[in-house]
Amino acid sequence: MSDRKLPRLLQTPAVLLLLVWMLIPLGMTLYFSFIRYVLNSLRRPEWTSPSLSNWRGFGNYEFVLKSKDFVLAIQNSLFIVCSILFLTVILGILIAVLINKTFPGQGIVRVLLISPFFVMPAVNAVLWINMILDPVLGLQGIAVAGINDILDGLRQMPLLGGFSSLWPEFEPISFRATQTSAIAVIMMVTWQWTPFAVLIFMTSLQSEDQQQKEAAILDGAGTWSQFRFLTLPHLGRPIAIVVMIQAIFHLSLYAEIEIVSRGNGNKNLPYLIGEFANNNIGAASATGIFAVILANIVAIFLLRMVGKTLME
Amino acid sequence: MGQIVLDKVSKSFGDVEVIPPLDLTIEDGEFTVFVGPSGCGKSTLLRMIAGLEDLTSGAIAIDGEDVTEVPPSKRGLAMVFQSYALYPHMTVRKNIGFPLRMEKMDQAEIDKRVETAATSLNLMDYLDRKPGQLSGGQRQRVAIGRAIVRDPSAFLFDEPLSNLDAALRVGMRLEISEMHERMQTTMIYVTHDQVEAMTMANKIVVLQAGVIEQVGSPLDLYHKPQNVFVAGFIGSPKMNIFTGPEAEKQGAHTIGIRPEHTDVSMTEGTWKGTVGVAEHLGSDTFIHVHNTGLADMVTVRISGDISVKHGDDIYLTPQPDQIHRFDAQGLRIE
Ligand SMILES: Nc1ncnc2c1ncn2[C@@H]1O[C@H](COP(=O)(O)OP(=O)(O)OP(=O)(O)O)[C@@H](O)[C@H]1O
Ligand SMILES: [Mg+2]
Repeated sequence: MSDRKLPRLLQTPAVLLLLVWMLIPLGMTLYFSFIRYVLNSLRRPEWTSPSLSNWRGFGNYEFVLKSKDFVLAIQNSLFIVCSILFLTVILGILIAVLINKTFPGQGIVRVLLISPFFVMPAVNAVLWINMILDPVLGLQGIAVAGINDILDGLRQMPLLGGFSSLWPEFEPISFRATQTSAIAVIMMVTWQWTPFAVLIFMTSLQSEDQQQKEAAILDGAGTWSQFRFLTLPHLGRPIAIVVMIQAIFHLSLYAEIEIVSRGNGNKNLPYLIGEFANNNIGAASATGIFAVILANIVAIFLLRMVGKTLME
Repeated sequence: MGQIVLDKVSKSFGDVEVIPPLDLTIEDGEFTVFVGPSGCGKSTLLRMIAGLEDLTSGAIAIDGEDVTEVPPSKRGLAMVFQSYALYPHMTVRKNIGFPLRMEKMDQAEIDKRVETAATSLNLMDYLDRKPGQLSGGQRQRVAIGRAIVRDPSAFLFDEPLSNLDAALRVGMRLEISEMHERMQTTMIYVTHDQVEAMTMANKIVVLQAGVIEQVGSPLDLYHKPQNVFVAGFIGSPKMNIFTGPEAEKQGAHTIGIRPEHTDVSMTEGTWKGTVGVAEHLGSDTFIHVHNTGLADMVTVRISGDISVKHGDDIYLTPQPDQIHRFDAQGLRIE
């Protein structure tokens, strides 16, 4: 027994620190979620400081569940996270496989590919929404205007004119609108996080066994079969890592949502927490607990799925 | 069928010529072994035959058909790698069946063939395990199984046993030999272990720096090495080779005498020396003899046991009809 005591003892500070680190915020959130606690209230000044006498039971949870934005926020959180995961994994694998071959200028291409990852999220969002996606001033607006100009030109021509006039004018899409703002967020975060996936997949590809590939070539496997039966299973674990890490990060997206549409039609759970936290700390805490539960469900579900499908 | 003809094949990596133009014919059903020191180009030659490495020049024909431009999978050859190269995410069953699956064979037929191969290799109990859960010897068997199911016209082995321990190596050596006897398929086997070469081969190809030094049956190479390199390379312990007055007495530039063809006496003989280390194997004794004036060290092999001590005087007498003579170019004089 005694030879186990010492290691345990030595681990204690780290474990304690971790517990404190996690348990105190979680405990406070739980506590606040069960009491009435607002930042200011003229009618009920006693609610402005946290105290057990303001106990509300599951009242905050009920309030959050009934608020009109809650279901939307959960749906949106899942929609945004899953879309980003899907896109970054697919793009990440494609790009990693592509640049894994040796070619001239490889070093520069790799550095350029990684660079989006070093842009700050808020800057990324501002750049995308104003300079790329803006329907008038952004690249999108300019491109659509250009295409329309060409179509106009064709309409003036003697022969083709009749045919071209059947074509409609193109309308630029406003990405700040209720229906499209989530798409804008997905695009900009995918752009930013694909390099992360590429980086992880690339290191994994470099450790792939070349003799296995040669054996597969002799066994009659073509490029696709080699990819499907050797490379993809080999990437199983890195894919799981990319999915897990990104799921955790993107469930708490905030800056992009704030900048694109101020949450208009596109709230996720953290944004909802932020809105409640303007005044109602109790409701914000209850939403926070929902967010924790959602994150755990997503994590378990994703781990199972990735594990099952790829390890075959 | 599986006759393989190499016609002036050569290989360079950049400016380095690893294999100068080389001709070789491997007959159908033959067990051919490539031996040579490390880095002499054995693996490269084998990979060229398999199609994994392009030829710099020359041509390869299998059964009279030029396959120089034919992709590896269409050459009808199967290869077993030193590292086994099993597919780690697939079960043994899937591993063995993989080449058949790539041929789009139907599942029932694949299952049947995999079971047949697994039975002959004693792998039935492991079919549902992954390679990571097998011992080295079992992995080797799976790799062989994957080669067998394709029913290839020739097998290529690249040092397949070098990752196994000594006892297992002897066992697998016998199994592969037996497999060859049974199937009578052409096999090309690369090794630098000359015991493997001597015991398994119908024909040995000795390579040095990409050049064929001699081609022949194991006993040919043992009794009639064509040059000093082959003489020194084949046989264990190594042949004693020396130049100088003793060689000139025999009318040669260099002479060689195998340790087992030297008689030993404590009282009289042709050459006198002192005993260095004596290695007792029980069945045989190897004595390393110093101060003979012939070479740094002369090794002799005596069957049975003999009691000699370090520093004892000893007399050696070569069996006259077993002396190999070589000229100044290192070529054999008959
Ligand atoms: N891809 C390559 N690029 C450059 N040189 C190479 C390459 N592959 C092999 N060589 C060189 O070719 C020579 C022959 O290599 P090879 O692998 O055929 O040797 P080997 O006889 O199989 O040796 P071993 O017994 O150690 O396996 C070596 O000198 C090696 O350095
Ligand atoms: Mg080799």
